[in-house]
Parts: sequence; C-alpha cells; structure tokens
Amino acid sequence: MGTTLDVIKDAFPYLLQGLYMTVLISVVSIIISLVIGLIACFMRMSKYTILRYPAAIYVNIIRGTPILIQILFIYFGAPSVLDIHLSAFTAGLIAISLNIGAYNTEIFRGGIESISKGQMEAGRSLGFTYSQTMAYIVLPQAVRRMIPSFVNQLTHAIKDTSMLSVIGIAELTMVGQSIYAMNFKSFEILTMVALMYFITIYTVSLISTRLERRFVIS
Amino acid sequence: MIMVKNLTKSYGDIEVLKDISTSIAPQEVVCIIGSSGSGKSTFLRCLNLLEEPTSGDILIEEKNIIDKSTNINKLRQQMGMVFQQFNLFPQKKVIENITLAPIKLKKKSKKEAETQALELLEKVGLSEKADAYPSNLSGGQQQRVAIARALAMEPHVMLFDEPTSALDPEMVGEVLRVMKQLAKEGMTMVIVTHEMGFAREVADRVIYIDGGRIVEEGSPRELFANPTHERTKAFLSKVL
Repeated sequence: MGTTLDVIKDAFPYLLQGLYMTVLISVVSIIISLVIGLIACFMRMSKYTILRYPAAIYVNIIRGTPILIQILFIYFGAPSVLDIHLSAFTAGLIAISLNIGAYNTEIFRGGIESISKGQMEAGRSLGFTYSQTMAYIVLPQAVRRMIPSFVNQLTHAIKDTSMLSVIGIAELTMVGQSIYAMNFKSFEILTMVALMYFITIYTVSLISTRLERRFVIS
Repeated sequence: MIMVKNLTKSYGDIEVLKDISTSIAPQEVVCIIGSSGSGKSTFLRCLNLLEEPTSGDILIEEKNIIDKSTNINKLRQQMGMVFQQFNLFPQKKVIENITLAPIKLKKKSKKEAETQALELLEKVGLSEKADAYPSNLSGGQQQRVAIARALAMEPHVMLFDEPTSALDPEMVGEVLRVMKQLAKEGMTMVIVTHEMGFAREVADRVIYIDGGRIVEEGSPRELFANPTHERTKAFLSKVL
C-alpha cells in the first residue's frame, strides 16, 4: 500500500479499460435503441391494432419495471426457459438497448407528432406517399427537435451501464469494485470512478449543446 | 374534368357534407363561398382525398378516385393544392421546396428541376428569393412560393383552400394577382375563398355552400346581383 497518488496511478489503467467497456456498450446500445425506437414508434402510430398493441406493451413493460430486473431477466431469466445461452456482454447490450429503445419510441413519437399536420398534407398533396413524406419532409424536421432528448438518452445509457456490473461485465463500476475489494481504498477508487463518469457525461452534454446550436432551428 | 356525384362526408354522427353533386369543366375557375363551418373546405379537401368521403363518387378526368384501385398518389400529382397556412417545408430553401417533388416523383434531373423552379419563381415575382428559407419570407411571399411549388408538378387542376385568409391585408393583393394570372392562362381552378371581389372578377362560376349543401350556384354576376335563395341573400348581405 503506497500513497494516494500510487493508488491512483495503479488503478488508472484498469479503470480506463472499464471506461472503454462502458462507452462501447453505451454507444452501440444507443445506436441499436434508435433503430428499435424508430420501428416501435411507427408501430405505435400505425392504424393497425396488431402493430400498435405489441409496441405499446413493450414500452409500458420497460417503463414500468426497474432496469436492474430487466438486465437480470435477460441474462438469467429468459435463457433458462428459451434454452439459449447469452454472453454477459450480449445480454447487457440487449438489456440496455431495449430499455433505451422504449424511451426513444416515445421521443420519436412526440417529435413526429409535434410537426404540424400541414407538413404531411403538403407532402401528400404533391403526390408523395405516406412513407416518402415521412422520410423527406417530416422526419428531418422531427429529428432536429429530438436531438436534445437523444443526447439525454445517451447520458442515461452511460449511467445505466453501471448496473451491468451485476452480471459481471467489466465496465467502469465493476472494475472499480474489483480494485477496492483488493486494496480497500474504496474512497479513492470510487471518487475516481465517479469522476470518470462525470467527465464522460459532461463531455457528451457539451457536444450536445454545440449540436443543438448548429441544427435546432426555431 | 371533375365530376362530383352525391358526395357525403360525416365525422361520426355529424354530417358535414350532404349529397353534393356538381362538375367542373376544363379551364373553368370556380369559387366556393360560404361561412366558416359550412363544409366548403371539407368539400375541397375531398377532391384530392385529403378527406375521405363517406359516400358518393368523385371522377377526376374520368377516373373514379373513390375506387380503391385508383392510384391516389399518381392522381394527386395532377392536382396542385395551396393551403391557408402555406405549409412550406421550413428546413428547405425556397428552390428546394419547389424542386423536391419534381426530382423525386417525376425523376427530373436536379438541373432541369431548378431551371423550371426559377421560371416559376419569376412567374410569381420571387426570383431573388430562390436561396432564402421560408421563415425569412413574408406570408404573401410564402404563399406565392407555395403556388410555385404546386405548379412545379404541372398539375391539370389547382385547388386553393382559403389561400389569403392567413395573410395580412396588404399581402392579399400580391397572391390574388398570381392567381388571376393563372386563371388567365387557362388553369382549371377550384378556390375556397372569402374574397368576394376576387370571386366576382375572376370566377366563371360561384358555388355557395351552407350547412354542407350547395345552396346556389351560378355565374358571379347572377349570384352576386340576384341571389335567389334567402340564405344566399343573408350571407351576401353580410359579406358584401
């Protein structure tokens, strides 16, 4: 056991690896969750009940249960009945993606519904189909309005990955726990962990502010 | 050109259009007048199926648009529409507003579409605004761009849904001037309007709708000077 500085120096490379895993899972799952969100959003807005209901059930289940339960369910619960094996990494990715995806569904829906109906009518009256009007006219406007919410979701994703420590993924929190379990320097290590989360998330929000200034038009 | 037979439209129990039949000839300019809530906008919006009729038939150039086999998207390309609220695409420049549909739907080259767009902008008196965004234009300018956008698809009919109702009074004239020019060039036009002066001057025929029914129709001279129905008289005495 050395000085505090030694503790920090020794732990830093391992924590950095943990942070890499955290960022990797966050970024990949936010991308997957955007796809999920877009699909589920159009299902929710569909005129067909058979599409609308599953999407509504999905969103409500995710919103109505803790993310920790969702992670445990996907890693331990589902594979035991479905007779499949998921690596902790895959299960973690699925859990975070599904979780963020449900919130994205509502963000997409809110964004699209905030665009005036006149835009859809103008597109349709020119002869565009519903999907063409969505793709060329409505979505580009809606997405600009959604940027702040998506960035917010990314910060949620980063924080939520700390839950993945329960299924043994070596992300930042897990790595921190393993280190102070050996050197008993919980204060120093947890401070470092917290700082690394903070710096990452703060950087994301700085980028978001710049993006907003660039894209968001009144 | 357009033939409407026994058209009705209901929202739930409320019948907003009751058994409307009329026809519009090629190159005819028809103004539809009536008080708010009379169903005149709904009628216009039924013509390109922005509202789905409850029953009846609408034939556009001999094709029944109520028939499920009719490709409504193709048909709408031949029917330009201008809205009260302009509905320009705010994220696109004026010229992109006009070229979007011809490029995507008529497969025109970008250059071809832009040449055409510039001609149309000149026609509506806005050549210098090609690279502006809609939010930087006045209401009257936006509406003229909206007319140019609709014309870019080379429609056979133009539908106008209260095109000047959202405009400041001093901008009404510039939009009406463009419409007058169109009428002179022989465009078939159906116009829902509160501009009685314009209707009297430009329309070949005026249709007065009240309570979801056509109460009276005729040349502007007959209808404005000698309305036969009490309701028409009452309406005209209020607006003239």
